[in-house]
Amino acid sequence: MSRIFHLSIVIAILFIIPTVSLAFAAESAGEYIDRKAEIWNLFFRLMVVAFVVGGVIAGTMVWQVWRFRESNPKAKPTPYEEKGEL
Amino acid sequence: MGHSNWAEWIYVAVVIALLVYVGAEAWNIENLIEHTPQDAEIIKVTAQQWLWSFEHEDGTKEVGELHLKKDHAYKFEITSKDVNHNFNIAEFVVLMDAVPGRVNTVWFSPNQAGEFDIQCREYCGLIHYNMRAKLIVEGV
Amino acid sequence: MVLELKRARPVWQIMFSTHHTDVGLMYLIFSILAMFIGGAMAIALRVELFAPGAQLIQDSMTFNRLFTIHGTTMIFLFLLPSAAAVGNYLVPIMVRYKDMAYPKLNAIAFWMIPPAAVLVWLGMADFGWYANPPYSVISAPAPAAEMWIFGLKLLGVSSILGSINFVVTILKCKHPDLSIGKVPLLAWSFLSSSIIVLAAMPTFAAALLMLLTDRLGVTGFFNPAMGGDPIAYQHLFWFTFHPEVYVLVIPAIGMMYEIIPRFSRRPIFSHGSGVFAFVLLSIVAFASWAHHMFATGMTFTEKTVFMVGTLAAVPASAMHVFNFLATMWNGRIKFATPMMWAVGGIALFFAAGAGGVVNTAMPLDFITHDSYWVVGHFHLFVFGTIAFGTIGFIYYLFPYITGRMYNEKWGIVHFILAFVGACITFFTQHILGLFGMPRRIYDYPEIPEWVSMNALISVGAMIILVGMGIFLVNLIYSSAKGKPANLEDPFGLGGKYYYPFAQRNPHHGDGGY
Repeated sequence: MSRIFHLSIVIAILFIIPTVSLAFAAESAGEYIDRKAEIWNLFFRLMVVAFVVGGVIAGTMVWQVWRFRESNPKAKPTPYEEKGEL
Repeated sequence: MGHSNWAEWIYVAVVIALLVYVGAEAWNIENLIEHTPQDAEIIKVTAQQWLWSFEHEDGTKEVGELHLKKDHAYKFEITSKDVNHNFNIAEFVVLMDAVPGRVNTVWFSPNQAGEFDIQCREYCGLIHYNMRAKLIVEGV
Repeated sequence: MVLELKRARPVWQIMFSTHHTDVGLMYLIFSILAMFIGGAMAIALRVELFAPGAQLIQDSMTFNRLFTIHGTTMIFLFLLPSAAAVGNYLVPIMVRYKDMAYPKLNAIAFWMIPPAAVLVWLGMADFGWYANPPYSVISAPAPAAEMWIFGLKLLGVSSILGSINFVVTILKCKHPDLSIGKVPLLAWSFLSSSIIVLAAMPTFAAALLMLLTDRLGVTGFFNPAMGGDPIAYQHLFWFTFHPEVYVLVIPAIGMMYEIIPRFSRRPIFSHGSGVFAFVLLSIVAFASWAHHMFATGMTFTEKTVFMVGTLAAVPASAMHVFNFLATMWNGRIKFATPMMWAVGGIALFFAAGAGGVVNTAMPLDFITHDSYWVVGHFHLFVFGTIAFGTIGFIYYLFPYITGRMYNEKWGIVHFILAFVGACITFFTQHILGLFGMPRRIYDYPEIPEWVSMNALISVGAMIILVGMGIFLVNLIYSSAKGKPANLEDPFGLGGKYYYPFAQRNPHHGDGGY
């Protein structure tokens, strides 16, 4: 639950900062929009999202694979094995 | 679905929210960069196997090289004489297909002086790998 | 078992057979052969690209032919036939029927593939596997182009015939006691992908014919001088081939649905979600084709529509990832070779999808279009997800097909080499693309970052090659001399290996599967 909360804070900040800068910047330096900066800026923002989500998914998988491997001393048979329903 | 799967619903909601964010941001930025300024100078770009030629508004022609001024706005009108090519100035993220029978446009303003590579970004045959030109941006 | 080398059956008996296990075996052997041929081409390309200048390949035309036929081989001669192999083996069993709905048609569909392959391989066309005009019409040399066109015509028809068979078998021949909702997810994956093929493939058949008549000068569909439009081809091509990439991935996900629950010793977290996600993906697959054409001069509105269509497909794929992770949760997981491939495949599936989301964000396509980012992205799908799922499933089916076990230790070594190699090769390609290197280029200038990354990518490719060599030896040696497998439960999982309604191959005598 707290993970979702923290994620939404990150997303909100990622959305607010460029919106605010767009409203206030008014292209003060130079006359035209800097195509390169806008595009790469978007790229890096999306990279933050991608790596955060990727980290969550990969982290979950790594933990799962470690915790639920059959050679783990804590491993116990699944309910489906005990009931022979496999 | 015989068991509780609220976790799956929340997960799908988070995925959709993230995608809406991506879509909205992309829409925003695309809107921003597509708006061509009125005073952009038009440069005609002609692609052909395997070289780039350019024509400025005042009629000056260049082959294999393009001289532009820093901080001026330029709109490229891009076409091809034979097969599909793609006009790409990687440094300034300018990229647009050159298609025969069609004129595609893209605009930019170089905010850096120096020499930059122009390359072809659509397979066009034997010398596609070396269909290059030089962009020279003058100014301080 | 259909391939028991100690009690070898006459080869002609397999070749003339119409039984689904024999047709499946032929699809499998052909697809593995094609995988190695396509892989050899890839290695040649990577050796050449190791450094600037000419290394292995002395002229750009040969390079262009190699990347064209590498792509064509891997997609049409490896991935599609290997999915057909798995489907042929298991779909009749999963729906509790004696064979495919039309066994003779099944064999015909297979036998169209080798002649098509010969046409493609002998032709060695050079226009990239997309065959975009005007290049493919006015610039690509004959007879290579025509041979490719005819080869692909045959392959398209073969695909359609196979799809008809799958759809009829699953919907019409399933056992009366088996409701459609209870059909296993692997069968659902074949149903979905077959319906996509039936809807999408005819468009490409039309496009191929149009290319041919344009080349002959009879028409000018894609010739602006005759009132045609080269971009029209791209719409026709991608209308087929965007859904087609889902045709490629959906069966591999289905194969993971067979492996992951069994090796976790738990049932699928939600069978219903799996079905829903397959059906949704099949429909939404048709809404995104022009994201491949963002650089052709589309308007803002057009690009937005296709961006939304592309993003709409992501939740369905995300549901599969959730399903797999939730299935493994609280399991007792045996990490034998097939499970490692399946889990590694999911990890790379996520990375591939994330890269795709970046591409579809319209402005970012200006960075990534036709660069090595795209090459890395789609290889994470076709190799990292689909080949991983397929290879894992080949290991899983190995006892079923041969009655013997492959060598487990070497299977794990193969996985590690493939996973590490894939990460090195394909993640680096993403970065190389960000640095501006275009795809489909024979040589490149001495930009320091390009030089070092290309060298690293080529090393990664060699690591994959070593793994594949081990795979080949393992397959061949274990088929002949592997330890006889316990066909009830070859992996020691505690459950049933294959469905109790295992079909008997009529040629194989008593006790044969």
